[in-house]
Amino acid sequence: MIAVKDQIRVRPKSKRRFSTLLEGLLYLLPSILLFAVFLFYPMFKTIYLSLFLTDAQGNTQTFVGLEHYIQLFQSTSFLSSLKATVLFVLYTVPAGVLLALGLALLANQKLKGIGFFRTIFSSTMGMSVAASSVIWLFIYNPTIGIANTIIKTFGMTEMQWLLNPDTALLSVALPTIWMNTGFSFLILLGGLHNIDSSLYESGKIAGVGDFYSLRKITLPLLSPTLLFIVTVSLINSFQTFGQIDILTKGGPMESTNVIVYSIFKDAFVNFNIGSASAQAVILFTFILAVTILQFKWGEKKVHYQ
Amino acid sequence: MKKSNILVTLLTLMALLLAACTGEEEPTNGGAVQADQPKEKTEVVFWHAMSGKLEEVVDQLVADFNEQQDDINVKAVFQGTYEESITKFNTVAGTKDAPTIMQVFEVGTKYMMDSGKIEPVQKFIDAENYDTSKWEQNITNYYAVDGEQYSMPFNSSTPILMYNKDAFKEAGLDPENPPTTYEELEEAAKALTTGEQYGFSILNYGWFIEELIAAQGGLFVNEDNGRKGDATEAVFNGEEGQKVFQLISDMYEDGTFYNTGQNWDDIRAAFQSGKIAMYLDSSAGVRDIVEQSSFEVGAGYLPVPEAADREGVIIGGASLWMANGIEESQQQAAWEFMKYLTSPEIQAKWHVNTGYFAINTEAYEQQIVQSEWEKYPQLKVTVDQLGDTKTSLATQGALISVFPEARQKVVNAMESLYQGTDPIEALNQAAEETNEALKMANRKK
Amino acid sequence: MTMKKKVILYTLLTVSAFLMFFPILYAFLISFMQGGEVLKGRIIPSDFSFTNYSAAMQKVPLLRYLFNSFVVASLIMAGQVIFCCLAAFSFTFIPFKGRNILFLIFISTMMIPWEATMVPNFQTIRSLGLTDTYFGLSVPFFAMAFGTFLLRQQFKTIPHEMYEATQVAGVSRFQFLWKVVLPVSKTTLVTLAIYSFLTAWNMYLWPLLVTNDEQMRTVQIGLKQMQSQEVSTEWGVVMAGAVLVILPTLILLFLGQKRLQEGLTRGAIK
Repeated sequence: MIAVKDQIRVRPKSKRRFSTLLEGLLYLLPSILLFAVFLFYPMFKTIYLSLFLTDAQGNTQTFVGLEHYIQLFQSTSFLSSLKATVLFVLYTVPAGVLLALGLALLANQKLKGIGFFRTIFSSTMGMSVAASSVIWLFIYNPTIGIANTIIKTFGMTEMQWLLNPDTALLSVALPTIWMNTGFSFLILLGGLHNIDSSLYESGKIAGVGDFYSLRKITLPLLSPTLLFIVTVSLINSFQTFGQIDILTKGGPMESTNVIVYSIFKDAFVNFNIGSASAQAVILFTFILAVTILQFKWGEKKVHYQ
Repeated sequence: MKKSNILVTLLTLMALLLAACTGEEEPTNGGAVQADQPKEKTEVVFWHAMSGKLEEVVDQLVADFNEQQDDINVKAVFQGTYEESITKFNTVAGTKDAPTIMQVFEVGTKYMMDSGKIEPVQKFIDAENYDTSKWEQNITNYYAVDGEQYSMPFNSSTPILMYNKDAFKEAGLDPENPPTTYEELEEAAKALTTGEQYGFSILNYGWFIEELIAAQGGLFVNEDNGRKGDATEAVFNGEEGQKVFQLISDMYEDGTFYNTGQNWDDIRAAFQSGKIAMYLDSSAGVRDIVEQSSFEVGAGYLPVPEAADREGVIIGGASLWMANGIEESQQQAAWEFMKYLTSPEIQAKWHVNTGYFAINTEAYEQQIVQSEWEKYPQLKVTVDQLGDTKTSLATQGALISVFPEARQKVVNAMESLYQGTDPIEALNQAAEETNEALKMANRKK
Repeated sequence: MTMKKKVILYTLLTVSAFLMFFPILYAFLISFMQGGEVLKGRIIPSDFSFTNYSAAMQKVPLLRYLFNSFVVASLIMAGQVIFCCLAAFSFTFIPFKGRNILFLIFISTMMIPWEATMVPNFQTIRSLGLTDTYFGLSVPFFAMAFGTFLLRQQFKTIPHEMYEATQVAGVSRFQFLWKVVLPVSKTTLVTLAIYSFLTAWNMYLWPLLVTNDEQMRTVQIGLKQMQSQEVSTEWGVVMAGAVLVILPTLILLFLGQKRLQEGLTRGAIK
């Protein structure tokens, strides 16, 4: 009897929990289905392929276990790819986010004609990577490009931006920042809009300076948006491909051969599908780790209203 | 008001989604028209990587072919760059989505042979005893092994030395006598180097190194340049290769060589803006350069070291492959199209409109070619250079499964020269890395 | 606002606008150049005629491509907005077990390199017989972790008391999403829509793989088709094409911007 009573008492609760689960999953179902087919299936296939030698068509030939991984970590070329990737992220993410934040703060003023400036600032997100990269190719051109014309007017000697291993990665980073700024700007501006303007007004009444209100009101309230932008910029930066393909093709001397580009070359040009897969798995793990760390650290600092 | 706005937007979005799921038949409209015709044409799908002006020429050729007969309909489809189209071919080869004719760049030759997805065109040549004596052997040889023709050369080019005649005059050099040896080249470059102007440049592209090695009779890999069996070792770091690298390194240190990177447009811009006075270009690009430059442009043979015998050049570009595993009638139709392409008239048009070589030497006797040559004598230089080429293992070109990778290694070595790496060391490193790649590739067999 | 501050702000705005917009302006100028003018290092074209534009329109069926891109981008935009709304709502307001793990799995999909997915997905689409269809071009992108993440960040700023209040009042969850969450999140939704549209608009490799029929190809393929390899490219024509291709996106951005501003002035947030 007691047992039955318990059951009756328990059932509605667990039933409710179950129905919550069901409802939650129902909302997620479309996404989960598509992810399963178009993301997880290829990913598992990639992991599988990374354990084999494959022929040029990508059919598995011989099982080699972790050989591809071991080889990669012994290869100087892959290690320099790793280094280039990390450097590239360091060059692009902080600078990109700061630039976008600056522009968003600037464009968040209530001024006449501000809509025009906002469109201009966000316009780079309308540019396809292919078109932008070609433009930057001309800008950097050692003989006819504007970059050197500008440098020369400042009395410096002309540079071979993309041909010098020391400057190539930075020179690719610059257009990348430019391309990503449009989007980050738009998101951050949206985040700024969401901040209650009465907070600023009360700040003004209290006689607080602009910089103080930026630090104490704007940034904390903007933190969820900032977390988002940082995460997305990180991931995008790790996966940068198009501009490298057009501007440097991974050179000179592999100084811009970031992992994604190296994967592309191995998979689509050299047909080393096994090794390309192994690199893809490593890259995936790497970004995952960085993102988890960033979340652990970031979510604590983020203020949700 | 606000809420209903969102509602409307969302509903429209939903409607759009639904419309997409039901509205798929739209694109098939084009196919229906053809089905109405009484006689069923054999469809030949032709995948190519020809973009820009070249695509217009290809489309024109195909349209002309479709018009002049009633049985075959060729459909030319642009499939991105050579790399992209070969990736796509890989995925669909052997299925109903596969093309009948596939254009593949020259370094993909060995890869296609080994793929098992192609039918050598020799089969069709033999079947009707087709006369190939008019074909330029220096072109067709590249795509043949042991006398068996695997694919049909399509867009073929070779490297050529381009120079600024005005700059030659200014430097006191004979504008009608471009340098032909390394020694002369170095001397000319020295004379041409003045403050803003550099003497010479080579694109950081593996093809040019292969050509400069072959011009002296050097091989790229062992096993007779990969034509006797699967290559197992790179030999491009031999004497000939070392001379090439030494030349670049010496000239760079001398300040007479300008590094222009990997991009064709960059090196051409450098030439047209007077930054460099001589450089190596593809024969296919010659006419545009002549047309667009504000000074007189000359063309010359690839230089070789004084002590070396000139062997000639290897053919570059791409060829057309016939797919297997498709209906014989389709293959036959594709063969008809290929034959059409090699006729003298078509080849003459091709040469004149694109700058690529004609594989049928009779084409050069056509009137349109002759008058074009009068206008652009530089084009004739490219044809002569090819005609003067001695048939040998070196000029036949290498067959390597990992050719694209080998090229990347060579480019890497070239780039390291500009950082002061010892040329022999750089070359050996590239050879070693290529050996690794070859070893890996041979394991997959 | 003081006059001095206004002047400083406008100066800053103008300078940064010029720097940001310069590459696009440069492309615009190149689009009027003929033949080798670009390679000679000119910045201002010798004359402003529209020959390159008409050449670009003739070279590839650009209008058809624009239409296709528009359909595909709109579909992807619609799919993403709907699917991401549903998913983000679930992650924010439905407290089911394993939610955080599932969210992390969602986020992890952003890190899968596209090179790994492209070929298998092409095979999937092909075996479903969806090549050369709008549906095949767009369906793999309907779900997106990034959008889910963006909306979740937004939904989280909605005070939880609001949700509890509606729960007490017996309003269903879906109605809460429909009547409260979505209207409040309008700015973010527009942002997401713009982003989805533009990313889809800029896709190149995927449309190239899944289409063979010229009638189904998209603008980025058209741009690539205008560029030559080995022989010289007519950069004027390519840039004219690029300008034609970014024009719709710039207009979209401008309109989206306006909507965002309207949202602001109405004080729609909270």
